[in-house]
Amino acid sequence: MRRMKFAHVADTHIGAHREPVLAQLEAEAFGIVMDRCIQEKVDFIIISGDLFQSGIPDLAAVDDAVKKMHAVREAGIPIYVIYGSHDYNPNGKSIIDILDSTGLIKKVVKGEIVDGKLELEFFTDSKTGAKLVGISARKAGLESRYYEILDRETLEEEPGFKIFVFHSGLDEFKPKHLAQMESIPISCLPREFQYYAGGHIHEKSEHTLPHYGPIVFPGTLFAGSPRDFEASAKGTQRGFYIVQFNKKVEKVEFVPVKVCECVYHEYDVTNKNSVQAQHELRKSLKELDVKGKFALVKVFGELAGGKTSDLKFAELKKMLSEKGAIHIDINRFGLVSKEYANMKVAGEDIGGIEDRLFKENIGTVKLSNADLKGEHGTKLAHELLKIVRQEAKTGETKKDYNMRVSEDAVKTLKLTGAMK
Amino acid sequence: MKKMEELEIAGQIIGGKVANILLREKSGKAIELGDLLVVDEPDGKYLILQVYDLSYGSQIPQTVRELAAGLKLEGYGPSLDFLEPHLRNYVMAMVKAVAFVSKGGAKIPKVLPSFFSNVRFIREKDLSFLIKPPNPVYLGKIRSGSKILDFDVFLDGEEMLTHHVLVPATTGRGKSNLVKVMLWSIADHKKFGMLVLDPHDEYYGRNSKGLKDHPNAKDTMRYYTVNPPPGASTLVINLRAIKPEHFEGLVDFSDTQLQAIKLYHRQFRNEWVENIIRGTEIDGVKSTTLAVLQRIIRVNLAVYLEDGQIVCKNRVFSDSAGEATISTIINDLEEGKIVIVDTSKISDEAELLIGSAVANEIFSRHQDAKAEGRLDEKRTVGIIIEEAPRVLSAERLAKSGNNIYSKVAREGRKFKVGLVAITQLTSVIPRDVLTNINTKIILGNEMATERHAIIESAAQDLSSDDRTIASLDKGEAIVSSIFTKFAVPVQIPLFDDYAKMAKPSDKKVVFTG
Amino acid sequence: MSVEAARRLIEHLDTKIHEEELGNPFFRDPNVKTYPLDKSGFHKIQQTKLACKVAFVDGGNQEIVGAPDFSVQLNRLYFGMWDCSERILEKSMPRRIEFFSSTYSRVTSNQVFYDTSVFPVHEEHQTMIPAESDLSFDSLDRTVTIGTQRADIERVASIARVFAEWQFATEIVKHELEKGDILVVDRTLQTTFKNEHNYLTNLVNSAKKKGVIVTGLSKTSALFTDTGLSLMGALSKLAEDDGMDEEWYFPIAEIYRLDHNAMVLAVKLNRDAKRIFRYEIQREQFGELSEEQINGIFTHFVKNSSDLTFPGYPYGLIDADRFARVSLQEVEYYKALMFSQLSNVGKWEKLSRHIRAKDAHDVLNMLIG
Repeated sequence: MRRMKFAHVADTHIGAHREPVLAQLEAEAFGIVMDRCIQEKVDFIIISGDLFQSGIPDLAAVDDAVKKMHAVREAGIPIYVIYGSHDYNPNGKSIIDILDSTGLIKKVVKGEIVDGKLELEFFTDSKTGAKLVGISARKAGLESRYYEILDRETLEEEPGFKIFVFHSGLDEFKPKHLAQMESIPISCLPREFQYYAGGHIHEKSEHTLPHYGPIVFPGTLFAGSPRDFEASAKGTQRGFYIVQFNKKVEKVEFVPVKVCECVYHEYDVTNKNSVQAQHELRKSLKELDVKGKFALVKVFGELAGGKTSDLKFAELKKMLSEKGAIHIDINRFGLVSKEYANMKVAGEDIGGIEDRLFKENIGTVKLSNADLKGEHGTKLAHELLKIVRQEAKTGETKKDYNMRVSEDAVKTLKLTGAMK
Repeated sequence: MKKMEELEIAGQIIGGKVANILLREKSGKAIELGDLLVVDEPDGKYLILQVYDLSYGSQIPQTVRELAAGLKLEGYGPSLDFLEPHLRNYVMAMVKAVAFVSKGGAKIPKVLPSFFSNVRFIREKDLSFLIKPPNPVYLGKIRSGSKILDFDVFLDGEEMLTHHVLVPATTGRGKSNLVKVMLWSIADHKKFGMLVLDPHDEYYGRNSKGLKDHPNAKDTMRYYTVNPPPGASTLVINLRAIKPEHFEGLVDFSDTQLQAIKLYHRQFRNEWVENIIRGTEIDGVKSTTLAVLQRIIRVNLAVYLEDGQIVCKNRVFSDSAGEATISTIINDLEEGKIVIVDTSKISDEAELLIGSAVANEIFSRHQDAKAEGRLDEKRTVGIIIEEAPRVLSAERLAKSGNNIYSKVAREGRKFKVGLVAITQLTSVIPRDVLTNINTKIILGNEMATERHAIIESAAQDLSSDDRTIASLDKGEAIVSSIFTKFAVPVQIPLFDDYAKMAKPSDKKVVFTG
Repeated sequence: MSVEAARRLIEHLDTKIHEEELGNPFFRDPNVKTYPLDKSGFHKIQQTKLACKVAFVDGGNQEIVGAPDFSVQLNRLYFGMWDCSERILEKSMPRRIEFFSSTYSRVTSNQVFYDTSVFPVHEEHQTMIPAESDLSFDSLDRTVTIGTQRADIERVASIARVFAEWQFATEIVKHELEKGDILVVDRTLQTTFKNEHNYLTNLVNSAKKKGVIVTGLSKTSALFTDTGLSLMGALSKLAEDDGMDEEWYFPIAEIYRLDHNAMVLAVKLNRDAKRIFRYEIQREQFGELSEEQINGIFTHFVKNSSDLTFPGYPYGLIDADRFARVSLQEVEYYKALMFSQLSNVGKWEKLSRHIRAKDAHDVLNMLIG
């Protein structure tokens, strides 16, 4: 009997990077996956959410991705997708819908609410007979509402090889550092499926629990956020899964995808003043072999003297670039100065404190837009803070609140449609 | 006197002394143990009295009564009876004054009521000095004897929890019902986090009405269990979340064993437990000690090695899942949620360890917050633990030393962490722990030693209430707290009657795929 | 040894009480018509409904302070009204009245006299207590002496209460009772003391005017049969022999005297009662009663005598006795009251000289305990 197999990919976040080098690497990673799928002759591909970075992503990135997917389709391999938390559009159609309508990909989320219960329809892969069903993500974990009303019994009783596709963190399996992240308990998922194709968690993991087939998160393919780069730099593997099955899953194999080398360096400024820190940092970075690699530098701690703006990061970046690093990212969110940390607040009101903080630190943030610098920038920061401080109105749902705050913020920043 | 007032007269004071006032019951009024009575004094003031004992009074000498009874019993006087029985045979009530109420509020009474004054049954408006607190936790309605008044009793949750609560009662007196009612009331507002260790799986309402049916359940409740129903969380805790201090006071380690644990922790950090289970040998630890530690972990956590894999018999502890469980529980508690942990399918040791892990973390966070001057930003967190002597008994504390629960009981008030301890055996809890528990919700208890232990540690003088406590029926309680003016008799409603079901949501859900 | 003596005593006594011949009621006075003591005299009480009230009256008194030459008494009178076993509340009269009396000696014409003054606790009760003019006695008056000895002042002092009972009863008849109602005093209808007859006559006249029947029930009886047995004892034996175990009345004698004008009966008011009592009805009034009325009256008594504590004795009299009594405890209180008044007016020394002439016994009691 022919072994059947499918590929399980998630969180490719195509369009996440504008920077040419990163955009290139991102496209390359996706290309590797598609090529490998053709090579492996998988029967179908599941992309469990966040194929794209947004509902209307950068078209250049979309173009690259579409070409690769087209090749896969030409090879007779269907691509089944669900929305992720990023690539859906709450107000209308997203890129996923457009590609679905062309037949390039197939959304496997279909259902209706009958007598208060969400009845999902299985989609059957014609080649293998595998049955797929799933629930797309919404922002801030709002898909949990669908799980509350899901008609699980009908799904559980369905015979055959079933795959549940979802894009949510699971309480039981999320890592400790994501404890605050919105997630759902596994009990929300219907039982007795042969495979659970997860997405949204950017680190790969495989789990088993009684009454559930393998629950798998492929992790992000390249990187969707700075934290992903850090994890990759520290050794986290990126890739996707190929799953062999018959009546049940026989093998779950992780296929690593590496598109660049990463070098990670961290430096703690504690007990050093800004001059010492600059000097030592420079010295340590000089010794790094970053040629042709992605350089991630993390600077953190509390300066014993001087200000954070005393550290010349642009200079350090330039040095690394000259050493051949293909991309440099210096993370200094954990860096504080003693004056900043120990600022006395007696006698000052909160507004005064905030104003001083903004003014002192606005210079430490690299900004290309002049409107965000200096006095104007400080004023904008105040206004934004005021907006995000707003509380939800009585009876206002979390979703409506989020949208209202977002809209107010957009208005304040006077962003045009292209910049939103 | 108005006819209404005449009808309300329950009796008349005829003597006695402070804490032992004697009154004669008006015939037919059926004064009960625990009844609240009122003596009106001039200028709108009044004394509230409480009945703690009843006895027969008679104008007929004892020997004559015995003879009379003999005549009746032996059929000698079928036509004979007591004439004017209500005048000559009556009930005497022993009462004590519990509150003196004036315009300024209620105080501890220091005077006797006017001699020979009439006494009436209490009315709801007599209790108007009991004001609903800002953070109300509902306990029930005021009870006078077995009569229930239409007057709700609340305690301030902030004060009550931080000063700890003891719920002493024998089986079948309504402990679980009380806790459910309190939690339902707490769930109305997200003001306190409550950790509920539920060894009988009776609070959530898996197969019956329970806390899951609260209108705010989605936002305020989280249920952890080994085999969760849809929407509930799996009770699974990663071994890396277990720290050596979580065992403190719960498991008896020898000095050698403690030293070994320290070494493993130093070397392997949060993987210390896994390495012990796997039998990883390290310098400074003998293999015999390692074997003992493995056995202790097996007994307490039901975790062991099998075919090279770490297996947990009760599926609660895992080396791969549950990394964020403790953190999530703590975050939920700090957001004011009620977290119910179903421990019915796991051992006592495991239950207490889970509770210890959470309590330690919460306590630690609150200590840090206090050190940084941020304690006011923290919500009060309460921990409900059943069969409290497991961790609070003198024997346990002497044998294993202090544990987090006793630490919370002794110091929790300073850090806004409170204990709600449920127990059948108050007498085994050391006095210094009991005196720190400032609210006792006393349910019925037929054991004299237990009643004495409760009475001795109560916030009010309950020395004359032994009989009253013994006669408490299911659902009847006495709330003795430093936050009440007197020991308040309450009737706790049946949870099923009290808990109003969540209305089906009117909001239409739109599914867009 | 005392057991042996007791045995011999009892044996001897038994030989002196002969129940073989019960005899007949013994009255020496020719103005008394007696009825034979045989079973035909038993009248079973037929329970008959009679719409009426029964007022039971009793009095009590105790010496508060006493000396050979004066006696201060607290006197108390009480009444209760009943319809069978149900109490009926009085319309207007106080249920109980009290008055102090002070009896003191004087010597006039070489004779010792005792006079009594009365002091009602509530002044409005003056009309219910005897006139002081009726309470003056020669200490050698035969109606007050016992044997040939001078009357004890304490005994004379009690007469105020005796007269007061009749007076009080008269007021009850006037204000509380209606035609057909029954008045019961806790004694016979025989008067003893000088002037007492006037009070009884007053009562009987008032009662006849209103149609109220005057009766009296005695707890004790010293009547004899002509074979030397106690009359009540003999009747009990007769009843036992006759199998009369139900409620009954038994006419004993009709008395036609100025100081005693009554129909005397014995009554057993409950089948389980161990005691029978002497009951008297004003003679003329008895003559006017029908059998039905008599049964009706006794039906009231039967129903009122069904109290478990004292079967066969009217509860109304138990009640009246309890509230008319002056207890020794009260005596102590009033003694203190009197003494304090004596002190206030500075007469303590004067009166205590006289009190000491009589109180040695009290001192001994106190010493012995």
